[in-house]
Amino acid sequence: MNRRKAIGGILGITGVSLVSFAGAKYFIGNSSHKRGNLETHIDLISELADVIIPPTSSPGGKATGVQDYIIGYLENCSSLKEYNNFINGLNDLQETSVNSYNRVFEECSANQKQQLLENLDNQWNSKGIFLKISNKLLGKSFFNILKTLTVEGYCTSSMGATKHLIYRPIPGRYNAVTDIGVKQKAWATK
Amino acid sequence: MKNQTSKNTFDAIVVGSGISGGWAAKELTEGGLKTIVLERGRNVEHIKDYSTALKHPWEFKYRSHLSNKELKERPIQSSHCDATNKQFFVKDSEHPYKQINPFKWIRGYQVGGRSLTWGRQCYRFSDLDFEANKKDEHGVDWPIRYKDLKKWYDYVEDYVGVSGNSESIPHLPDGVFLPPIPMNAIELHLQESLRKSFSDRTVINGRVANLTKPKNGRGPCLYRNLCSRGCPFSGYFSSNSSTLIDADLTGNLTLRANSIVKEVIYDAEQNRAIGVVVIDTITKKEMNYYAKVIFLNASTIATTAILLNSVSPSFPKGLGNSSGQVGHNLMDHVVNEGSYGTFDGLKDKYYEGRSPGTIYIPRFQNINDKTKNTKFLRGYGIQGKGERENWQTKSTEGIGIALKAQLETPGKWKISLGGRGEVLPNYENRISLDTGNRDQWGLPLVKIHFEYGSNDLAMMEHMTKASEEILIKAGFENVGSYRTSPSPGSAVHEMGTARMGNDPKTSVLNKHNQMHDVENIFITDGSCMTSSGCQNPSLTYMAITARACQFALKQFFSDKL
Repeated sequence: MNRRKAIGGILGITGVSLVSFAGAKYFIGNSSHKRGNLETHIDLISELADVIIPPTSSPGGKATGVQDYIIGYLENCSSLKEYNNFINGLNDLQETSVNSYNRVFEECSANQKQQLLENLDNQWNSKGIFLKISNKLLGKSFFNILKTLTVEGYCTSSMGATKHLIYRPIPGRYNAVTDIGVKQKAWATK
Repeated sequence: MKNQTSKNTFDAIVVGSGISGGWAAKELTEGGLKTIVLERGRNVEHIKDYSTALKHPWEFKYRSHLSNKELKERPIQSSHCDATNKQFFVKDSEHPYKQINPFKWIRGYQVGGRSLTWGRQCYRFSDLDFEANKKDEHGVDWPIRYKDLKKWYDYVEDYVGVSGNSESIPHLPDGVFLPPIPMNAIELHLQESLRKSFSDRTVINGRVANLTKPKNGRGPCLYRNLCSRGCPFSGYFSSNSSTLIDADLTGNLTLRANSIVKEVIYDAEQNRAIGVVVIDTITKKEMNYYAKVIFLNASTIATTAILLNSVSPSFPKGLGNSSGQVGHNLMDHVVNEGSYGTFDGLKDKYYEGRSPGTIYIPRFQNINDKTKNTKFLRGYGIQGKGERENWQTKSTEGIGIALKAQLETPGKWKISLGGRGEVLPNYENRISLDTGNRDQWGLPLVKIHFEYGSNDLAMMEHMTKASEEILIKAGFENVGSYRTSPSPGSAVHEMGTARMGNDPKTSVLNKHNQMHDVENIFITDGSCMTSSGCQNPSLTYMAITARACQFALKQFFSDKL
């Protein structure tokens, strides 16, 4: 069965239907989604953020509220292509998860989650110089969007900027050349 | 009615409160003239109205991104602003204009204008620039030379507070400088490399209007590098932080925001301008203001639009347009998208604080016979910035703990270089009014016709190649350039359209920035520029304004205006 023909895609199985019926004619090859429903996937997106940036000695993605940023950005700032790619990507991910491990992403073990996202990360990286062209034609891929927004949301969050990086709102002076410190952290802002 | 007239009568009217209008306000009020400044946008009070200045990144809902709704309102401005400073850029949807060819008209309609968001780079013109038109016969000759402007550059720099280094470069004259913003490790490396590899080019500290030392109760700069939000520490020069405050202190200033100047009122019997018609943007009512001296500082395109809209039997093609040159010879600097490279070394060096400055590679083409370029006339300068990559610029691999480790460590050194080149004056590049299409105040829309010429394009190609060559010779890796050429207007250095010149038949303004046709009108914003140089032009507008104000004051007090 072509996944795109299954109304709601695999996300439908998890109890939430995302796909707008008005967009039905686009199901084959290019599902189009109505904005406004991402909030219902906040738990899944939080999980994804925490696999990409797990809690260590500094907070993980979820604790810094990255999921709210990702959803806010996609609902209000993203292009329609990006928005559709993201939701199709969530569908694809769930489908892969079910096919590989017989369970949806949220129910996978930590290792399985890590494996699923690493595969996506490798696919993205292997595109190399074609990435720019592909971005232009098709919009950024699901994982590109997810990772970029997770990193941005995390590094610009209060906890990410101050606990994982160093943030000085008012430096007061400019030392143009300093010796790098032991375990020198990167500045949060430019 | 009589009362109404006297209430609306001043010694001087200044139209616009941006970088040159602010200077006109200061000089004229300090010279003793009761002056009204008319600003089309809302009031922006220094510090109090910098609503985003102290916000943390996480206090912006979508961080720096504009929402789709905001983007839709700003299809043009959005390339030059983001969520943190959008309040200082217009909504294109509210202020439409017509692009016959693509031309970005980046605008800030508020008290202070674009002086709030300017790039703060301050470079003097030299006689290489003032003599260029005469030598290669493009455009008309400037009616002034460097010697006419030198003391005025000194004067404005001393007031503005320009940080920089004296370099003894004849075509980039030294000025009155505060200590420079120092270079970081990679910038020093590039400077050293150029010293070894090139005889014709050199890296200098950028000259910027950021205060490395306190000045007149302003500053110093606290190295936040968030200038375009407005600085609550007065760390950089703007009309709001400086000239308008000093103008107000004289007791001679009346500042009227929300006041669009529709046209200049011309009295044919006296052959003088007697005032301006203003539309109050809130009440939409029209009213007149009268004065003996009128300075138009609405910005290059807007000032010229006022002239073209001031039609009378004496001036059917627009006020002061007997030469037919009003609106013509629009220039902007040609910019490339920039070149970049990373450097595998100096890993033990970093920096503290965020520099609001740049490095600068002064013009090195067509300076003398030795540096003659056969592909194009005139030249360009290159601005650059070095930094260590962080999460914003790094390409990160992996996820999980490996990703976190990459994010928290400083990345490779990187330098970005971007050229700014001189555009030749060309009669065909012009603005005009579209009387068939009007804005919400009933004013005709501005139409912009602008195309780069072959000289401009050859220069753009050269600046990209030269930037890459510079980086490669300095040992940079992954050297590349953005290849899409930016739309004209992207430099936000619109100039020309009411040029200075010696001959009233071919120019609009004389050597004092006084209109040839109507002597009590002065224009000292970018419109007056006879050629564009390759230097960021604001400093020259400021010097020209101060000079013209002194002349206007003398004329005023000897009853010649």
